[in-house]
Amino acid sequence: MQMEQTTSGRGAEGGTREFLTFFLGGEEYGMDILKVQEIRGYDAVTRIANAPDFLKGVINLRGVIVPIVDMRIKFRLGEVVYDEFTVVIIMNVLGRVVGMVVDAVSDVVELAPEQIKPAPELGSTLDSRYITGLGTQNGQMLILIDIEKLLSSSEMQLMDDAA
Amino acid sequence: MTGGATNDLSRFNQVFFEESAEHLAEMERILLALDPGAPQEDDLHAIFRAAHSIKGSAAIFGFTDMTIVTHDLESLLDRVRNHEIPLNGEMIDAFLEAGDAIAMQLAGHRDGADVDSAVIERVCKKLGALVSATVDAGCAPQSFPTRFEPVTAAGPGSPAAYGIDFSPAEDTFRRGVRLENLFCELADLGELQVSAAIGFDAPFNELDPENCHTSWHLTLESTAGEAELRDIFEFVAEENELRIAALSNAGAEGEHPAGGATTVCVPMDTHPAVPERTASVRNDAPAVAPGRRTAESQEGSTIRVGVTKVDQLINQVGELVITQSMLSQIAAGLDPLLYEGIHRGLMQLERNTRDLQESIMSIRLVPISLVFSRFPRLVRDLSAKLGKLVELRTFGETTELDKGLIEKIADPLTHLLRNCLDHAIELPQVRTAAGKDATGTITMRAAQVGGRIVIDVADDGAGLNRGKILKKALERGGAVDEAMADEDVWRLIFEPGFSTADAVTDISGRGVGMDVVLKNVHAMGGRIQVASEEGKGCKFTISLPLTLAILDGLSVAVGEERFIIPINSIVESLQPLAGDIKTVGGRRVVHVRGEYLPLLPIYELFNLETSVKRPEEGTLVLVDAEGEKCALFVDELLGEHQVVIKSLEDNYRKVEGTAGATILGDGRVALILDVGGLLQAGKRLKETGV
Repeated sequence: MQMEQTTSGRGAEGGTREFLTFFLGGEEYGMDILKVQEIRGYDAVTRIANAPDFLKGVINLRGVIVPIVDMRIKFRLGEVVYDEFTVVIIMNVLGRVVGMVVDAVSDVVELAPEQIKPAPELGSTLDSRYITGLGTQNGQMLILIDIEKLLSSSEMQLMDDAA
Repeated sequence: MTGGATNDLSRFNQVFFEESAEHLAEMERILLALDPGAPQEDDLHAIFRAAHSIKGSAAIFGFTDMTIVTHDLESLLDRVRNHEIPLNGEMIDAFLEAGDAIAMQLAGHRDGADVDSAVIERVCKKLGALVSATVDAGCAPQSFPTRFEPVTAAGPGSPAAYGIDFSPAEDTFRRGVRLENLFCELADLGELQVSAAIGFDAPFNELDPENCHTSWHLTLESTAGEAELRDIFEFVAEENELRIAALSNAGAEGEHPAGGATTVCVPMDTHPAVPERTASVRNDAPAVAPGRRTAESQEGSTIRVGVTKVDQLINQVGELVITQSMLSQIAAGLDPLLYEGIHRGLMQLERNTRDLQESIMSIRLVPISLVFSRFPRLVRDLSAKLGKLVELRTFGETTELDKGLIEKIADPLTHLLRNCLDHAIELPQVRTAAGKDATGTITMRAAQVGGRIVIDVADDGAGLNRGKILKKALERGGAVDEAMADEDVWRLIFEPGFSTADAVTDISGRGVGMDVVLKNVHAMGGRIQVASEEGKGCKFTISLPLTLAILDGLSVAVGEERFIIPINSIVESLQPLAGDIKTVGGRRVVHVRGEYLPLLPIYELFNLETSVKRPEEGTLVLVDAEGEKCALFVDELLGEHQVVIKSLEDNYRKVEGTAGATILGDGRVALILDVGGLLQAGKRLKETGV
């Protein structure tokens, strides 16, 4: 887990890293804030044929075509509703721009290494390969995901096999 | 030297100057970083490629003096690159000097700056000496000083230069004098440069168009005597209208007569003063003056801007268009009488944004003819040099592609063409013996196919020689065997330094070129395919992605979604009658004027919800892809648009049946259908039928 930290984020000297936290279903997640480009509301998407169900489609982000994934569908978390509170986190990952639908964005938190505990093997839909650890903040548990690894994984089918 | 600027290639000269300057800069950068003791293989190749590219382009544009120096540079580099001789510091010095010499020649062509031929001769000698010093007696290096003549102007029987000032009388035209004939006669005697000056000081409305207000300054380089020149003017000019003077410094100055671009204003009423004034201008103006002037005017004509900046502009304008259409939609709900001003303003805005968008788009897209039109000259010169008969045919010159791609595709295409000419097309007698037309044909064809631009370079020459390639590859220590598939064998020709040519010429055969071609095409995200048949010819197919191209498309609706069908693949659209729809083995076909065409419902291919499921309720768009026809079934047609193709692959991945996406006026994304891909998908589609 220590290894993961130094590879997926900077701030190795200070030890603390910043995470954007968001809700998927009832669970609170955190991702490296440096990967976040912007946050916007959910808009109509253009559907892509024969894509997996969690790929909602593509949107026009100021002239750039950006795919939108819904993690609630992917991880089967909570009810999938699209309302005025539904937000999309636009991320910059591996030189690509990808949007992720979440129920809500809550906060930006700073976590020191000692606040991050390794995640137990759970066999859940969210493979523990993509979890860098579980963080604790004010008694709340945060599931820290390695968004880069997740989005580039073959099961997301976001990139061509060659990429 | 300035002759190059007058032919029809002159509009590309600027591109050549810029490219060559870049190549030179790159060469110098690598040379300076090079460690003579342990040079990097890649660096040596890169220097060689740079020199080779300059040579190639210089040959096209007819700047022979530059080809000579680069050829000598290449000869030495090639030996170093092949480890025939070790690199040393002296060579790097020589390479740098050669680079400077080429830069000087470049400046000479571009700005008319002075070219010191002694320096160039010295550089060539030095390069030649370095080659011959290390070469065993068997391989004779090319001799350098003899080929150097084009640059040194002063030789035996070299023409004298004359400065001619001719200020015809005001009634010249009314006397029926044809000045163009006069100039033609002069041009027949030698190299003629003409500059005209208008000498009319009075207000414009007093100008009598039937009077001659022009005076000419001519520079002629000719072996003819002064008397001959005067003969030409015999019936045209009075004694005081003509002044002919031999330019004493013409030989030393090379082909840059000082007065080439000097213009002199001569008011009509001061005829006698002309000679003195001309003379004084001539004395005061050093040779630099005309050069500086041309340099200024050329710099003003183009600005090189980073592609990313243009892309940014395109995106921003796209956003502006969307904002504008949003405003229009809002305003449509306003009472036109009460808000007349707003409506008028918005109409104005719409026009302005459309103009702006068109202008911005036109910055990036250029027809491929810009590249193709360079080649006839190359083919003519090279085929004459090689004693071959070659015809070049080009198709699809109006295919528009990205400016960035145009710039990058020029080099690879040049290399391919030179290879075709040098290796592929046989000599006329060989061709006749083989039962082929004595004239070889090279075909260059550009087209937009699906989501890509495809450029073919095909010849009807000898084709690739499989045995020779394998033998050469074995010599080079490559892992090859006889059983290799043809495609794998052809791939070998893209290895750096690979050449099966028996002799190194200044056209090709050094084994540079194909690796440059491959590298450049890959850098553009393109692919290259080779197809060859022994004795029949060889075809290179370069396929480039449409990173940014405009497409004329028909937008159609299917359920909630919109799609763009490229206009160029549409044959017609129709609303079928229920009776025209038949099924063949469960698959629907439509009967159109005696033909049965397969029916492809877009909603099924893309898994969409729509209320229009019966073909007679919707619209059929008949499309043609690579000779196959089919009918796309959509809900309705919406309109024709010019759309900017955006890549889905930048942030997502390739989607089957689409050639990309575009952004509609309302900001939504629409997929562009790839008709060829749809046909393939349609064949796999299990017809559920209605």
